Amino acid sequence: MSEDIIGLIRENVIQGRITKDDEGMEEGMVGQPGVSELLDSALAAGLPIRDIITKGLSGGMDVVGQKFEAGEYFIPDMLASAEAVGAAMEVLQPRLASSGIDSKGTIIVATVKDDLHDIGKNIVSILLRGAGYIVKDLGNNIDTQVIVDAVRKDKPQVLGLSALLTSTMARMGDVIQALEESGLRDQVKVIVGGAPVSEEFARSIGADGYGADGFQAVAVVETLASGTQS
Amino acid sequence: MSVSSDRVDIEIDKKQICQYIGYNDDHHLSARISSLIDDYSKHAHQLINPLYSYVIRKVEWARGTMALVEGSIIFKSWVVVQLLEQCQQVAIFVVTIGKYLEDTAAQLARDGLILQATVLDAIGSNAVEKVAEHAQGKIGQIAESKGLVISRRFSPGYCDWNIGQQRMIFAALTGNTVGVRLTGECLMIPQKSISGIIGIGPPDGNVERYNPCSFCEKQDCPGRR
Repeated sequence: MSEDIIGLIRENVIQGRITKDDEGMEEGMVGQPGVSELLDSALAAGLPIRDIITKGLSGGMDVVGQKFEAGEYFIPDMLASAEAVGAAMEVLQPRLASSGIDSKGTIIVATVKDDLHDIGKNIVSILLRGAGYIVKDLGNNIDTQVIVDAVRKDKPQVLGLSALLTSTMARMGDVIQALEESGLRDQVKVIVGGAPVSEEFARSIGADGYGADGFQAVAVVETLASGTQS
Repeated sequence: MSVSSDRVDIEIDKKQICQYIGYNDDHHLSARISSLIDDYSKHAHQLINPLYSYVIRKVEWARGTMALVEGSIIFKSWVVVQLLEQCQQVAIFVVTIGKYLEDTAAQLARDGLILQATVLDAIGSNAVEKVAEHAQGKIGQIAESKGLVISRRFSPGYCDWNIGQQRMIFAALTGNTVGVRLTGECLMIPQKSISGIIGIGPPDGNVERYNPCSFCEKQDCPGRR
Protein backbone atom coordinates (compact mmCIF):
# COMPACT_ATOMS: atom_id res chain seq x y z
CA MET A 1 0.00 0.00 0.00
CA SER A 2 2.70 2.51 1.03
CA GLU A 3 4.77 1.60 -2.03
CA ASP A 4 1.64 2.13 -4.11
CA ILE A 5 1.08 5.68 -2.83
CA ILE A 6 4.73 6.62 -3.23
CA GLY A 7 4.76 5.05 -6.69
CA LEU A 8 1.71 7.12 -7.60
CA ILE A 9 3.38 10.29 -6.29
CA ARG A 10 6.38 9.48 -8.47
CA GLU A 11 4.14 8.84 -11.48
CA ASN A 12 2.20 12.07 -10.98
CA VAL A 13 5.42 14.08 -10.69
CA ILE A 14 6.37 12.58 -14.07
CA GLN A 15 2.91 13.55 -15.37
CA GLY A 16 3.30 17.09 -13.96
CA ARG A 17 -0.02 16.91 -12.08
CA ILE A 18 -0.43 18.91 -8.88
CA THR A 19 -4.13 18.26 -8.22
CA LYS A 20 -6.90 15.95 -9.42
CA ASP A 21 -8.14 18.74 -11.73
CA ASP A 22 -4.94 18.69 -13.82
CA GLU A 23 -4.44 16.86 -17.09
CA GLY A 24 -1.28 14.76 -17.42
CA MET A 25 1.05 14.19 -20.33
CA GLU A 26 -1.75 12.17 -21.96
CA GLU A 27 -5.47 12.96 -21.85
CA GLY A 28 -7.93 11.33 -19.47
CA MET A 29 -6.21 11.86 -16.10
CA VAL A 30 -8.56 14.55 -14.77
CA GLY A 31 -10.30 13.28 -11.66
CA GLN A 32 -7.51 10.95 -10.57
CA PRO A 33 -5.60 12.14 -7.47
CA GLY A 34 -2.60 14.39 -8.17
CA VAL A 35 0.54 14.92 -6.10
CA SER A 36 -1.28 17.10 -3.50
CA GLU A 37 -4.03 14.57 -2.79
CA LEU A 38 -1.56 11.66 -2.80
CA LEU A 39 0.72 13.54 -0.41
CA ASP A 40 -2.23 14.01 1.99
CA SER A 41 -2.88 10.25 1.81
CA ALA A 42 0.79 9.44 2.36
CA LEU A 43 0.99 11.69 5.43
CA ALA A 44 -2.30 10.35 6.80
CA ALA A 45 -0.92 6.82 6.39
CA GLY A 46 2.20 7.86 8.30
CA LEU A 47 4.59 7.00 5.47
CA PRO A 48 8.21 8.06 6.08
CA ILE A 49 8.84 11.59 4.76
CA ARG A 50 12.29 10.50 3.60
CA ASP A 51 10.68 7.90 1.31
CA ILE A 52 8.10 10.35 0.02
CA ILE A 53 10.90 12.75 -0.94
CA THR A 54 13.55 10.37 -2.24
CA LYS A 55 11.45 7.67 -3.89
CA GLY A 56 8.38 9.75 -4.80
CA LEU A 57 9.36 13.35 -5.55
CA SER A 58 13.08 13.08 -6.38
CA GLY A 59 12.50 9.70 -8.04
CA GLY A 60 9.93 11.32 -10.33
CA MET A 61 12.14 14.32 -11.10
CA ASP A 62 15.03 12.00 -12.01
CA VAL A 63 12.84 10.40 -14.68
CA VAL A 64 11.69 13.84 -15.87
CA GLY A 65 15.33 14.93 -16.20
CA GLN A 66 16.10 11.83 -18.25
CA LYS A 67 13.10 12.47 -20.48
CA PHE A 68 14.22 16.07 -20.97
CA GLU A 69 17.72 14.97 -21.94
CA ALA A 70 16.25 12.42 -24.35
CA GLY A 71 14.17 15.16 -26.02
CA GLU A 72 10.87 13.63 -24.88
CA TYR A 73 10.11 16.50 -22.49
CA PHE A 74 10.38 20.21 -23.13
CA ILE A 75 10.73 23.16 -20.74
CA PRO A 76 6.98 23.49 -19.94
CA ASP A 77 6.81 19.74 -19.13
CA MET A 78 9.75 20.16 -16.74
CA LEU A 79 8.08 23.20 -15.17
CA ALA A 80 4.85 21.26 -14.61
CA SER A 81 6.75 18.51 -12.81
CA ALA A 82 8.93 20.93 -10.84
CA GLU A 83 5.82 22.84 -9.80
CA ALA A 84 4.25 19.62 -8.50
CA VAL A 85 7.40 18.89 -6.47
CA GLY A 86 7.54 22.50 -5.26
CA ALA A 87 3.93 22.32 -4.04
CA ALA A 88 4.66 19.08 -2.19
CA MET A 89 7.87 20.43 -0.63
CA GLU A 90 5.99 23.47 0.69
CA VAL A 91 3.81 21.07 2.69
CA LEU A 92 6.74 18.91 3.76
CA GLN A 93 9.23 21.69 4.61
CA PRO A 94 8.00 22.31 8.20
CA ARG A 95 8.21 18.55 8.93
CA LEU A 96 11.76 18.01 7.66
CA ALA A 97 13.60 18.86 10.90
CA SER A 98 11.42 16.60 13.06
CA SER A 99 11.96 13.81 10.54
CA GLY A 100 15.74 14.16 10.83
CA ILE A 101 16.09 15.37 7.24
CA ASP A 102 18.40 18.28 6.50
CA SER A 103 17.03 20.99 4.23
CA LYS A 104 19.04 21.38 1.05
CA GLY A 105 19.33 25.05 1.90
CA THR A 106 18.07 28.48 0.97
CA ILE A 107 18.61 30.26 -2.35
CA ILE A 108 17.80 33.93 -2.92
CA VAL A 109 17.02 35.03 -6.49
CA ALA A 110 16.45 38.52 -7.88
CA THR A 111 16.43 40.48 -11.12
CA VAL A 112 18.69 43.51 -10.67
CA LYS A 113 17.72 47.18 -10.45
CA ASP A 114 16.17 48.81 -13.57
CA ASP A 115 15.48 45.42 -15.20
CA LEU A 116 11.83 44.39 -15.32
CA HIS A 117 12.23 40.92 -16.81
CA ASP A 118 11.46 37.99 -14.59
CA ILE A 119 10.32 34.97 -16.60
CA GLY A 120 13.83 33.46 -16.73
CA LYS A 121 14.33 34.04 -13.02
CA ASN A 122 10.93 32.51 -12.29
CA ILE A 123 11.80 29.38 -14.25
CA VAL A 124 15.05 28.98 -12.32
CA SER A 125 13.12 29.50 -9.06
CA ILE A 126 10.63 26.75 -9.72
CA LEU A 127 13.32 24.33 -10.92
CA LEU A 128 15.25 25.01 -7.70
CA ARG A 129 12.11 24.40 -5.64
CA GLY A 130 11.62 21.20 -7.60
CA ALA A 131 15.17 20.23 -6.65
CA GLY A 132 14.28 20.67 -2.96
CA TYR A 133 15.64 24.11 -2.08
CA ILE A 134 13.85 26.86 -0.18
CA VAL A 135 13.75 29.72 -2.67
CA LYS A 136 13.25 33.34 -1.68
CA ASP A 137 12.37 35.29 -4.80
CA LEU A 138 12.87 39.02 -4.24
CA GLY A 139 11.28 39.92 -7.60
CA ASN A 140 12.51 42.20 -10.38
CA ASN A 141 13.94 45.74 -10.44
CA ILE A 142 15.49 45.12 -7.01
CA ASP A 143 17.81 47.65 -5.40
CA THR A 144 21.33 46.45 -4.67
CA GLN A 145 20.91 47.32 -1.00
CA VAL A 146 17.69 45.28 -0.74
CA ILE A 147 19.56 42.24 -2.09
CA VAL A 148 22.45 42.78 0.35
CA ASP A 149 20.00 43.15 3.26
CA ALA A 150 18.22 39.92 2.24
CA VAL A 151 21.54 38.03 2.13
CA ARG A 152 22.41 39.35 5.59
CA LYS A 153 18.99 38.37 7.00
CA ASP A 154 18.32 34.99 5.33
CA LYS A 155 21.91 33.72 5.01
CA PRO A 156 21.37 31.81 1.74
CA GLN A 157 23.94 29.36 0.43
CA VAL A 158 23.59 30.84 -3.04
CA LEU A 159 22.41 34.16 -4.46
CA GLY A 160 21.10 34.03 -8.06
CA LEU A 161 21.11 37.29 -10.03
CA SER A 162 19.35 37.79 -13.34
CA ALA A 163 19.46 40.52 -16.01
CA LEU A 164 18.10 40.53 -19.54
CA LEU A 165 19.59 43.79 -20.77
CA THR A 166 23.11 44.82 -21.65
CA SER A 167 22.31 48.11 -19.92
CA THR A 168 21.49 46.41 -16.59
CA MET A 169 23.85 43.42 -16.48
CA ALA A 170 26.57 45.56 -14.92
CA ARG A 171 24.34 45.91 -11.82
CA MET A 172 25.18 42.28 -11.03
CA GLY A 173 28.78 43.38 -10.54
CA ASP A 174 27.52 46.21 -8.30
CA VAL A 175 25.75 43.65 -6.09
CA ILE A 176 28.91 41.54 -5.74
CA GLN A 177 30.89 44.68 -4.92
CA ALA A 178 28.28 45.68 -2.30
CA LEU A 179 28.44 42.19 -0.75
CA GLU A 180 32.21 42.58 -0.44
CA GLU A 181 31.90 46.02 1.14
CA SER A 182 29.33 44.66 3.59
CA GLY A 183 31.62 41.80 4.61
CA LEU A 184 29.12 39.21 3.32
CA ARG A 185 30.88 38.01 0.17
CA ASP A 186 32.56 35.03 1.86
CA GLN A 187 29.24 33.79 3.23
CA VAL A 188 27.37 33.38 -0.05
CA LYS A 189 28.08 32.02 -3.50
CA VAL A 190 26.81 34.11 -6.40
CA ILE A 191 25.49 32.70 -9.67
CA VAL A 192 24.45 34.96 -12.57
CA GLY A 193 22.36 34.42 -15.69
CA GLY A 194 20.26 36.10 -18.37
CA ALA A 195 20.31 36.49 -22.15
CA PRO A 196 23.31 38.87 -22.47
CA VAL A 197 25.35 37.18 -19.72
CA SER A 198 28.25 34.87 -20.53
CA GLU A 199 30.72 32.71 -18.61
CA GLU A 200 33.38 35.29 -19.38
CA PHE A 201 31.22 38.15 -18.06
CA ALA A 202 30.44 36.15 -14.91
CA ARG A 203 34.15 35.70 -14.26
CA SER A 204 34.88 39.37 -14.96
CA ILE A 205 32.50 40.57 -12.22
CA GLY A 206 33.71 37.98 -9.71
CA ALA A 207 30.67 35.68 -9.75
CA ASP A 208 31.13 32.06 -8.59
CA GLY A 209 29.01 30.54 -11.33
CA TYR A 210 27.01 31.09 -14.50
CA GLY A 211 23.89 29.34 -15.75
CA ALA A 212 23.28 29.43 -19.51
CA ASP A 213 19.76 28.14 -18.91
CA GLY A 214 17.53 27.06 -16.04
CA PHE A 215 18.78 23.49 -15.91
CA GLN A 216 22.43 24.46 -15.97
CA ALA A 217 21.66 27.02 -13.27
CA VAL A 218 20.25 24.28 -11.02
CA ALA A 219 23.30 22.07 -11.66
CA VAL A 220 25.66 24.94 -10.79
CA VAL A 221 23.65 25.76 -7.66
CA GLU A 222 23.84 22.10 -6.57
CA THR A 223 27.64 22.25 -6.85
CA LEU A 224 27.97 25.64 -5.16
CA ALA A 225 25.49 24.85 -2.36
CA SER A 226 27.19 21.56 -1.51
CA GLY A 227 30.48 23.45 -1.26
CA THR A 228 29.05 25.90 1.26
CA GLN A 229 27.42 23.38 3.58
CA SER A 230 29.30 22.94 6.82
CA MET B 1 1.97 64.26 -40.27
CA SER B 2 -0.83 63.59 -37.77
CA VAL B 3 -0.56 60.60 -35.45
CA SER B 4 -3.11 57.80 -36.10
CA SER B 5 -4.19 55.35 -33.44
CA ASP B 6 -6.79 52.61 -33.17
CA ARG B 7 -7.89 49.47 -31.35
CA VAL B 8 -7.72 46.12 -33.13
CA ASP B 9 -9.12 42.60 -32.71
CA ILE B 10 -6.52 39.84 -32.78
CA GLU B 11 -6.40 36.05 -32.94
CA ILE B 12 -4.02 34.15 -30.64
CA ASP B 13 -1.86 31.60 -32.49
CA LYS B 14 -1.45 28.41 -30.40
CA LYS B 15 1.38 27.06 -32.56
CA GLN B 16 3.43 30.22 -32.04
CA ILE B 17 2.78 30.14 -28.29
CA CYS B 18 4.14 26.59 -28.20
CA GLN B 19 7.31 27.85 -29.89
CA TYR B 20 7.64 30.74 -27.41
CA ILE B 21 7.51 28.39 -24.42
CA GLY B 22 10.12 26.05 -25.85
CA TYR B 23 8.47 23.38 -28.02
CA ASN B 24 9.71 22.64 -31.49
CA ASP B 25 7.32 22.25 -34.43
CA ASP B 26 6.93 18.48 -34.50
CA HIS B 27 6.68 17.86 -30.75
CA HIS B 28 3.57 16.14 -29.43
CA LEU B 29 2.04 18.62 -26.99
CA SER B 30 1.10 17.12 -23.62
CA ALA B 31 -2.58 17.24 -22.65
CA ARG B 32 -1.63 19.25 -19.54
CA ILE B 33 0.11 22.03 -21.47
CA SER B 34 -2.39 21.96 -24.34
CA SER B 35 -5.37 22.46 -22.03
CA LEU B 36 -3.48 25.17 -20.14
CA ILE B 37 -2.81 27.14 -23.35
CA ASP B 38 -6.46 26.72 -24.46
CA ASP B 39 -7.84 27.85 -21.09
CA TYR B 40 -5.58 30.88 -20.81
CA SER B 41 -6.04 31.87 -24.46
CA LYS B 42 -9.80 31.84 -23.92
CA HIS B 43 -9.52 34.26 -21.00
CA ALA B 44 -6.67 36.36 -22.43
CA HIS B 45 -9.04 38.52 -24.48
CA GLN B 46 -10.43 39.91 -21.23
CA LEU B 47 -6.90 40.84 -20.15
CA ILE B 48 -5.70 42.63 -23.27
CA ASN B 49 -6.47 45.99 -24.81
CA PRO B 50 -4.75 45.90 -28.22
CA LEU B 51 -3.89 49.43 -29.33
CA TYR B 52 -1.54 50.93 -31.88
CA SER B 53 -0.35 54.37 -32.84
CA TYR B 54 1.82 55.50 -35.73
CA VAL B 55 2.96 58.57 -37.61
CA ILE B 56 4.44 58.74 -41.13
CA ARG B 57 7.21 61.29 -41.56
CA LYS B 58 9.50 62.37 -44.37
CA VAL B 59 13.12 61.20 -44.30
CA GLU B 60 15.15 64.42 -44.68
CA TRP B 61 18.51 62.72 -45.10
CA ALA B 62 20.42 59.63 -44.01
CA ARG B 63 24.15 59.07 -44.17
CA GLY B 64 26.94 57.54 -42.11
CA THR B 65 25.42 56.66 -38.76
CA MET B 66 22.76 59.36 -38.63
CA ALA B 67 19.37 60.02 -40.18
CA LEU B 68 17.29 63.17 -39.88
CA VAL B 69 13.53 62.73 -40.03
CA GLU B 70 10.90 65.46 -40.40
CA GLY B 71 10.21 67.13 -37.05
CA SER B 72 13.86 67.20 -35.88
CA ILE B 73 13.83 63.46 -35.14
CA ILE B 74 17.40 62.11 -35.25
CA PHE B 75 18.10 58.38 -35.45
CA LYS B 76 21.68 57.35 -34.69
CA SER B 77 22.47 53.91 -36.09
CA TRP B 78 24.40 52.67 -39.10
CA VAL B 79 21.94 49.80 -39.50
CA VAL B 80 18.97 52.23 -39.53
CA VAL B 81 20.73 54.46 -42.05
CA GLN B 82 21.12 51.44 -44.39
CA LEU B 83 17.30 51.37 -44.51
CA LEU B 84 16.41 55.05 -44.45
CA GLU B 85 18.81 56.02 -47.25
CA GLN B 86 16.52 53.88 -49.47
CA CYS B 87 13.32 55.50 -48.15
CA GLN B 88 11.30 58.63 -48.81
CA GLN B 89 9.27 58.24 -45.64
CA VAL B 90 9.37 56.34 -42.37
CA ALA B 91 6.49 55.12 -40.22
CA ILE B 92 7.20 55.42 -36.50
CA PHE B 93 4.96 53.29 -34.32
CA VAL B 94 4.16 51.91 -30.90
CA VAL B 95 1.73 49.07 -30.16
CA THR B 96 0.61 47.54 -26.88
CA ILE B 97 -1.84 45.13 -25.28
CA GLY B 98 -1.99 47.12 -22.03
CA LYS B 99 -0.89 46.11 -18.56
CA TYR B 100 -3.55 43.73 -17.21
CA LEU B 101 -2.17 40.57 -18.76
CA GLU B 102 1.36 41.13 -17.47
CA ASP B 103 0.04 42.12 -14.04
CA THR B 104 -1.91 38.85 -13.94
CA ALA B 105 1.16 36.86 -15.06
CA ALA B 106 3.24 38.55 -12.35
CA GLN B 107 0.62 37.66 -9.73
CA LEU B 108 0.59 34.02 -10.90
CA ALA B 109 4.39 33.95 -10.56
CA ARG B 110 4.19 35.44 -7.05
CA ASP B 111 1.71 32.68 -6.20
CA GLY B 112 4.26 30.09 -7.34
CA LEU B 113 2.35 29.19 -10.53
CA ILE B 114 5.35 29.64 -12.81
CA LEU B 115 4.11 27.37 -15.59
CA GLN B 116 0.84 29.28 -15.77
CA ALA B 117 2.71 32.62 -15.64
CA THR B 118 5.01 31.46 -18.45
CA VAL B 119 2.09 30.38 -20.64
CA LEU B 120 0.21 33.65 -20.03
CA ASP B 121 3.36 35.66 -20.73
CA ALA B 122 3.79 33.79 -24.04
CA ILE B 123 0.16 34.52 -24.96
CA GLY B 124 0.87 38.20 -24.27
CA SER B 125 4.01 38.11 -26.45
CA ASN B 126 2.00 36.55 -29.26
CA ALA B 127 -0.82 39.06 -28.84
CA VAL B 128 1.43 42.12 -28.99
CA GLU B 129 3.21 40.65 -32.03
CA LYS B 130 -0.21 40.31 -33.72
CA VAL B 131 -1.00 43.97 -32.97
CA ALA B 132 2.34 44.96 -34.51
CA GLU B 133 1.53 42.85 -37.59
CA HIS B 134 -1.83 44.58 -37.88
CA ALA B 135 -0.25 48.04 -37.63
CA GLN B 136 2.34 47.00 -40.21
CA GLY B 137 -0.47 45.88 -42.55
CA LYS B 138 -2.22 49.21 -42.10
CA ILE B 139 0.98 51.13 -42.89
CA GLY B 140 1.53 48.82 -45.89
CA GLN B 141 -1.92 49.73 -47.28
CA ILE B 142 -1.14 53.44 -47.00
CA ALA B 143 2.21 52.94 -48.75
CA GLU B 144 0.61 50.83 -51.50
CA SER B 145 -1.99 53.52 -52.19
CA LYS B 146 0.92 55.83 -53.07
CA GLY B 147 2.72 53.23 -55.21
CA LEU B 148 5.30 52.61 -52.47
CA VAL B 149 6.32 49.56 -50.41
CA ILE B 150 7.29 49.00 -46.79
CA SER B 151 10.23 47.33 -45.06
CA ARG B 152 10.32 44.97 -42.08
CA ARG B 153 9.93 46.44 -38.63
CA PHE B 154 13.04 47.45 -36.72
CA SER B 155 13.22 48.48 -33.06
CA PRO B 156 15.67 50.32 -30.80
CA GLY B 157 17.72 47.94 -28.65
CA TYR B 158 18.66 45.67 -31.57
CA CYS B 159 21.95 45.63 -33.51
CA ASP B 160 23.70 49.00 -33.13
CA TRP B 161 20.51 50.95 -32.44
CA ASN B 162 20.80 52.05 -28.83
CA ILE B 163 17.71 51.50 -26.69
CA GLY B 164 18.02 55.13 -25.55
CA GLN B 165 16.70 56.07 -28.99
CA GLN B 166 13.27 55.03 -27.77
CA ARG B 167 13.04 58.66 -26.70
CA MET B 168 13.11 59.75 -30.37
CA ILE B 169 10.37 57.24 -31.26
CA PHE B 170 8.20 58.58 -28.46
CA ALA B 171 9.01 62.22 -29.33
CA ALA B 172 7.88 61.55 -32.91
CA LEU B 173 4.52 60.26 -31.65
CA THR B 174 3.97 63.60 -29.88
CA GLY B 175 2.37 62.12 -26.79
CA ASN B 176 -0.04 59.76 -28.57
CA THR B 177 1.63 56.60 -27.32
CA VAL B 178 -1.57 54.66 -26.47
CA GLY B 179 -0.69 54.64 -22.77
CA VAL B 180 2.85 53.33 -23.21
CA ARG B 181 5.56 55.16 -21.26
CA LEU B 182 9.32 54.83 -20.92
CA THR B 183 11.30 54.08 -17.78
CA GLY B 184 14.58 55.86 -17.06
CA GLU B 185 16.32 52.96 -18.82
CA CYS B 186 13.99 53.37 -21.84
CA LEU B 187 12.09 50.14 -21.23
CA MET B 188 8.42 50.34 -22.13
CA ILE B 189 5.63 50.09 -19.59
CA PRO B 190 3.47 48.06 -20.21
CA GLN B 191 6.21 45.59 -21.11
CA LYS B 192 4.01 43.89 -23.69
CA SER B 193 4.55 46.75 -26.13
CA ILE B 194 6.58 47.06 -29.34
CA SER B 195 7.96 50.28 -30.78
CA GLY B 196 10.02 50.93 -33.87
CA ILE B 197 10.17 52.10 -37.45
CA ILE B 198 9.07 50.81 -40.85
CA GLY B 199 10.74 52.24 -43.94
CA ILE B 200 8.56 53.41 -46.87
CA GLY B 201 10.16 53.66 -50.29
CA PRO B 202 10.02 52.84 -53.99
CA PRO B 203 9.19 49.29 -55.17
CA ASP B 204 12.70 48.63 -56.48
CA GLY B 205 13.31 45.71 -54.13
CA ASN B 206 15.78 47.40 -51.78
CA VAL B 207 13.26 48.45 -49.13
CA GLU B 208 11.38 45.13 -49.12
CA ARG B 209 14.64 43.14 -48.99
CA TYR B 210 16.04 45.16 -46.09
CA ASN B 211 17.14 42.90 -43.25
CA PRO B 212 18.94 44.64 -40.37
CA CYS B 213 20.59 41.34 -39.40
CA SER B 214 22.56 41.30 -42.66
CA PHE B 215 24.38 44.45 -41.45
CA CYS B 216 24.93 43.20 -37.90
CA GLU B 217 27.92 41.22 -36.65
CA LYS B 218 26.17 39.65 -33.66
CA GLN B 219 25.96 36.11 -35.05
CA ASP B 220 24.74 34.66 -31.74
CA CYS B 221 21.86 37.15 -31.34
CA PRO B 222 18.68 35.28 -30.34
CA GLY B 223 16.63 37.69 -32.49
CA ARG B 224 18.67 37.05 -35.65
CA ARG B 225 16.49 36.78 -38.78
